[in-house]
Amino acid sequence: MELIAVAVNHHTAPIEIRESLFLQEDEIRNFIRELQNELAKESCVISTCNRTEIYCVPKNNSITYKEIQKFLLEKKKVENISESNFRNYFSCGAANHLFHIAAGIDSLVIGDQQILGQVKDAFTIANEENAVGTYLQKVFQSALKVGKRVKTETELFEGPSSISAAAVQLAGKIFSDLKKKKVLVIGAGETSRLTLQNLQQKNVKEITITNRTQSRAEALAKEFNAKVISFLDFKDCLHEYDIIISATSSPEPLVKKSDILKVMSLRKNQPLCILDIAIPRDFEPSIREIDNVFYSDIDALQSIVNQNLEKRQSQIPRIKKIIMEELIELFSWYNSLQISPVLKSLREQFEQIRQQEFEFFKNKFAPEQQENLELLTKRIINKLLHNPTIYLRKTADTIDTQGDLNLRINIIKEMFNLIDKNNHD
Amino acid sequence: MINMIHTLNNFLPFIYGLTFLFYLLDFFNSKKELSTAKRLFLFFTILIHFFYLLLRTIEFNHTPITTVFEIFTLLAFAITVSYYIIELVTEIRSTGTFILFLPLIFQIVSTLNIKDLIEVKDILRSPFLGIHVFTALTGYAGITFSAIYGILFLTLYNQIKKQKYGLIFDRLPNLEILEYLSQVSALVGFIMLTIAIVIGIIWLPQAFTEPKYFDPKLIATIFVWLFYAFGLTGKWLFKWSGRKIVYLSLTGFIISLFSMSVLNLVLTGFHKFF
Repeated sequence: MELIAVAVNHHTAPIEIRESLFLQEDEIRNFIRELQNELAKESCVISTCNRTEIYCVPKNNSITYKEIQKFLLEKKKVENISESNFRNYFSCGAANHLFHIAAGIDSLVIGDQQILGQVKDAFTIANEENAVGTYLQKVFQSALKVGKRVKTETELFEGPSSISAAAVQLAGKIFSDLKKKKVLVIGAGETSRLTLQNLQQKNVKEITITNRTQSRAEALAKEFNAKVISFLDFKDCLHEYDIIISATSSPEPLVKKSDILKVMSLRKNQPLCILDIAIPRDFEPSIREIDNVFYSDIDALQSIVNQNLEKRQSQIPRIKKIIMEELIELFSWYNSLQISPVLKSLREQFEQIRQQEFEFFKNKFAPEQQENLELLTKRIINKLLHNPTIYLRKTADTIDTQGDLNLRINIIKEMFNLIDKNNHD
Repeated sequence: MINMIHTLNNFLPFIYGLTFLFYLLDFFNSKKELSTAKRLFLFFTILIHFFYLLLRTIEFNHTPITTVFEIFTLLAFAITVSYYIIELVTEIRSTGTFILFLPLIFQIVSTLNIKDLIEVKDILRSPFLGIHVFTALTGYAGITFSAIYGILFLTLYNQIKKQKYGLIFDRLPNLEILEYLSQVSALVGFIMLTIAIVIGIIWLPQAFTEPKYFDPKLIATIFVWLFYAFGLTGKWLFKWSGRKIVYLSLTGFIISLFSMSVLNLVLTGFHKFF
């Protein structure tokens, strides 16, 4: 398969280079159009914050990965990029790499759920630009199938992979329906933002934010449709919340055990989940001794993340097996594309011989016998061709290398003198 | 038909064991195939056990409640069906391991000791007795479920408090669900015990010429009933929740165990039919 992939990703290049190479949707569309005009029969571009990768079937054999790289760098000016920042893949290797991406095991964090959607979007854009032909259609459909199979047949996407996701998972182990719970987020930094994103994914409706700098809390609240309370008063309202997530940079604990004892009394001892993601900690750790108070600090949450990442790693052999199965299926399909013209020629040649011989001998038979004679000759031809047909199809399904397949095809062509006819076709 | 009954009787512990094994394997090594297989096995276990109980009832012409070992097999069936319903309704599949060992034990004891009993006392053929025993068994099964879910609640509670996020944390449903399951089971158990007691008290003068209301099992059951009435009232009126209500459920279960085992062995009364 004449498939080339040129990749710059988090394995090969620092963030500065990846940022410079990142292509917006309109840039991808222009890039594909120009690539189709100059170098490629088929092409597709995946561009995310962690990778920019070009998949294409070149117009002719003289076009290599070097031309594709050069073309990319002409369109996107990047400083300090070198050959070592590129990875280049061909044929089976390119499909294999794409399948790893779609499966989510080539991502920065193993089990990234977004990447399958990004591959799908890239394929849709390429399709809309009429840059997808027989080969890329099959390769990308197989890649999307890999992603779907990984989702349904493995546990790669289960469990949290970040501290903020672990915090939300822990809250979910205490309360059955997070949607109905009231959440207070103390702090308005990046950690708080990530936590809010995770809470939003769980459809938590009642979120309140408090921060020493009120304007930052208000900006974040606007983004997540949350309420804001004054940082000076938040301790008076703690009892109203079922989940408290704290991620400030305060050098001293903000909340003491005595505060939480009062809170629990006001809450009539209803469960309270406190997730302290701050360093140093915002709550006195001794609050975990209070009945019905579930307190977790950053180390505990990190241990959940580590366990989960280990679990994800353990899924990789199963995922590689899925990738291998789909690669075999893809290359059987590809081989069958090459086998089909040979089978067609073979059948046509046999049919031609049959017709010639039938015409030659048919007058030696009575008119009422001629129909049976034709039927008989057709049956003989079919029987003779049965084994070679099965053999060729089986060869397409099982053969490992392109060279082996070509060799066998050529033997068949020579044996039955199909060469000229096929070349002519 | 007798041969069929004997075969099924011998087969039941194996299929219960296999179902329990599937639940155990799935708890330690969660896999989608195992999760599907274990529910299928549970369904077939219930089906086979139902068929066995039906054959026994037809062949011996009485509901299987006339000996302790007949009651044990019926109890195994009642627990399994109740658990199956809970699993279907809640879609929580990870607690089966902690419940299905009970029917396995009851069925093994029953299989080893059950006899083909054709001649039974007339009193044991009464339909009232059938309903009384069934509701009492379901009631005690409810209490047992409540205790098991209570223990699971306490285990998960302690794990989260100690910030230990291992297998239990991974597999069990959340604390609110466990508490809810424990409370619903206790409520169902309480309602069924209420029905059992009412039917028993109504039926007693009809069954015995000189009924004695000071039977130790009756008194113990009423005591268990009062205890659960107290707990459920506290839950309803004073919003008791969390560990407090779970500890009450566990205490109730220990009292009911005591009433069912020790009192039954040591003291005698009209409840001792066999």
